[in-house]
Amino acid sequence: MNGKVLAGPLDGDLDPFARPMPNLSNALSRRIDADPESVEQGLAQLVLTIVELLRQLMERQALRRIDGGGLTEEQVERLGATFMALDQRMEELREQFGLTAEDLNLDLGPLGRLL
Amino acid sequence: MIELLAITDDPAPTAAPVRIVPAGGLGLVVEPAPHGELDADALWRRESLLEELMRERAVLPVRLGTRLEDAAAAAEAIAPRRAELAAALERVRGAVELSVRAAAAGAPAGADGFAATAEAVHARLAAHARASARHEGPELLRAAYLVDRGDVDGFVVTVRDLQHEHPGLSLLCTGPWPPYSFTEGPAR
Amino acid sequence: MSSAGAIAERDVALVDLVDRLLGGGVVIAGDITLSVADVDLVHVSLRALVSSVEKARPQQP
Repeated sequence: MNGKVLAGPLDGDLDPFARPMPNLSNALSRRIDADPESVEQGLAQLVLTIVELLRQLMERQALRRIDGGGLTEEQVERLGATFMALDQRMEELREQFGLTAEDLNLDLGPLGRLL
Repeated sequence: MIELLAITDDPAPTAAPVRIVPAGGLGLVVEPAPHGELDADALWRRESLLEELMRERAVLPVRLGTRLEDAAAAAEAIAPRRAELAAALERVRGAVELSVRAAAAGAPAGADGFAATAEAVHARLAAHARASARHEGPELLRAAYLVDRGDVDGFVVTVRDLQHEHPGLSLLCTGPWPPYSFTEGPAR
Repeated sequence: MSSAGAIAERDVALVDLVDRLLGGGVVIAGDITLSVADVDLVHVSLRALVSSVEKARPQQP
């Protein structure tokens, strides 16, 4: 990786800019543990939460389309199967990382509480 | 499965270790969908690839992790947006993205009185760029600037000048980056 | 530059890179795979849902 820093602070202190997960740090609740020991679990928690959000959005959107009659029978079946598989996978992963459904219930600010 | 990395304005092949699929005058930059852990090294390898391409043609990065069944599926996915993508490529041609972040030096971020300074810094830098975009972040300022290649040095000089003018702020400028922040809609 | 300085520069550059990878780039209706620690978490089809996700994103000022 070539040097990407073109200009930096006069005192050379880059620490204020080295915070990890910057894009989502505002959205994280205090329940995400900042302890480096549990960073992996925190990261898994965050990713699973985002996935859960996507899954709920997908379900809502799919239901709207199913109700609107805009999908073929085959498409409806495929959607149903996808959600079931996702649900199952989510459960497996929660178990793998030792997280409960409550642990995924993060406050994401404007995105609101998920569950 | 393939991963779609970027869209370019040139469908001709490249020496870079990646495949370019011609699609309606555009080029789709694809590679076999990678397996394994997405660590920092993998991200930098991907980034280096896009930067190498950017030196030879206009490039629009595609969202990380965008996978499709095959090249045909990729061409089908972008077909309805061809005109919009061509326009976006036009807007970024010959320019690079520079990142600037500003934090309050020696004080917690968001300290009173600095918001206006951050605004002023942003305005000064935006004047040196084709377009600019502010992002969400913990800093007083987190922004991207679309700068003509030939103006990059002048932009960096401006950042250094602003740093000297505002010793209470810490400024960080990184780049050049492919135009991640300027792929959608009219340039701001 | 000291090695500590080089590491710090790499760290802040990575922050800027990840910020761009997470929030930028063209959004194509395709499948997104999210992985953590070598586990493919999910293979999500966004074909029907790009607009829903876009609406849920924080607005950029």
